Amino acid sequence: MKEPGPTNGPGNTKHLRGMSMNRIAIVSALIAFLVGMTFATFSEMRVFLPAILKGAVVTVQVSILSIALFLFMSVISGIGRLSANRPIRWASIFYIEVFRGTSLLVILFWMFFVMPEFGVTLSPMVAGVTAIGLNFGAYGAEVVRGAIAAVPKGQTEATIALNMAPYKRLTRIVLPQAIAIMIPGMSNLTIELIKATALVSAVTLVDITYAAVQQNQLHYRTVEIFFITMLLYYVFAQFVRFGGEALEEHYTRHLSKRV
Amino acid sequence: MTHPMIQFDKVLKAYGALQVLKDLDFSVDNGEVVSIIGPSGSGKTTVLRVLMTLEGIQGGTMYVNGEPLNKMNVDGQLVDASKAHIRRIRSKIGMVFQSFNLFPHMTALDNCNESPIHTQGKSKAEATEESMRLLEMVGLAEKANHYPSQLSGGQQQRVAIARTLAMHPEILLFDEPTSALDPEMVGEVLEVIRDLAKSGDYTMLLVTHQMGFAREVSDRVCFFDGGKMVEQGKPDDLFGNPQHDRLKQFLSKVLEAG
Repeated sequence: MKEPGPTNGPGNTKHLRGMSMNRIAIVSALIAFLVGMTFATFSEMRVFLPAILKGAVVTVQVSILSIALFLFMSVISGIGRLSANRPIRWASIFYIEVFRGTSLLVILFWMFFVMPEFGVTLSPMVAGVTAIGLNFGAYGAEVVRGAIAAVPKGQTEATIALNMAPYKRLTRIVLPQAIAIMIPGMSNLTIELIKATALVSAVTLVDITYAAVQQNQLHYRTVEIFFITMLLYYVFAQFVRFGGEALEEHYTRHLSKRV
Repeated sequence: MTHPMIQFDKVLKAYGALQVLKDLDFSVDNGEVVSIIGPSGSGKTTVLRVLMTLEGIQGGTMYVNGEPLNKMNVDGQLVDASKAHIRRIRSKIGMVFQSFNLFPHMTALDNCNESPIHTQGKSKAEATEESMRLLEMVGLAEKANHYPSQLSGGQQQRVAIARTLAMHPEILLFDEPTSALDPEMVGEVLEVIRDLAKSGDYTMLLVTHQMGFAREVSDRVCFFDGGKMVEQGKPDDLFGNPQHDRLKQFLSKVLEAG
């Protein structure tokens, strides 16, 4: 007679796999960093690497500010999209559809080159952050909306039965559960956003991509320069991935344990 | 003059052309325990859902302890109720759901504390003391710091009952409270409901498929079919001597099945 052996719950194995993947990614990022440092110090790479790292700082600045605007717009218009208040709902839909329906690069040109025609002059940084944050916020709004809609209806009914105020229903019951659902979609968009910051080179900001192009024109080390450029974006994306996984783990910690 | 605790006056509930409640007149006295039975689609759960204001109605008026729920008095005229009015009247009603609907991101204790703290403005210490007393009452004090995912279905439903009691309702609505449970867990939940019914502290409206239980705890049983109340009476009369053919059919099928 065959006895089924002790098995790990599905949550368990997923957890273990997640951990080892993380470790591999961390180790490879570390190795890449050390190799990069070695080259930077001892090889001919030192002629172009400082300029690219300076660009990386700009990319990080643009990314962090854009992500802040992106998250803010996502939550505000994602909730607004579901509001019972008609003007708020329409305003949200208008924003989402305008920015989802237009090219990020074109929006960026509008912010930087067209707005001055109407008397609004934005610095390259402000134009870049605004265009990217607003554009990605429109996509994020749909992720937020979907996540809120995916919270079981019974949860809202329970809050009504407990006579909770609408604001408390949303902030205490629905949103905490929606966050767990929206994290994978939002971290995907955040990674997309970081890569999209390369477009700010079009409005004269010297980010990684722009610095790489410049350095390539100066030194013709095409392979090394663009390999390092790629590596930097990859490392940034890994940070977001780890952050997203940690958050997801945090928000689902009570949901996965089934006794 | 005493008012009925719950009164439906020509209540109409429709989904498009489908009328789920057809001009329903129905009332429940203070402290009375009433069970509603009937086939699926008879509108019995809808009675609870419209009273809890989970769904709007298309006509008629519902009264709670003599005060209109979906309407309010303005200069002697009944007008559509404001949200504040609905919230004030609704605070007297608590509901226990078929699928428990506990908040999964909160412990059993926090589930019970949620409404007292965040709706009634009680202090955490005060709410916790009361919630622990209620969890003790449903036999789950030692599970206070467990999350719903760590509890069995029967335990979850008992926490849900404690959570409902924590808001001090005068009316308790039970919507098929044992239908989602494994058979061996039905008993523990019915025991809690039985104690509440016997206490006489609450006006209770119970939608159930547990005919034996309905007969045991109810002061009155109502049989619904096709959006109308077809027959009502004392449990022994209704089950022992049904008048309408539709009820006879229903009872013979249900009792045959189990």
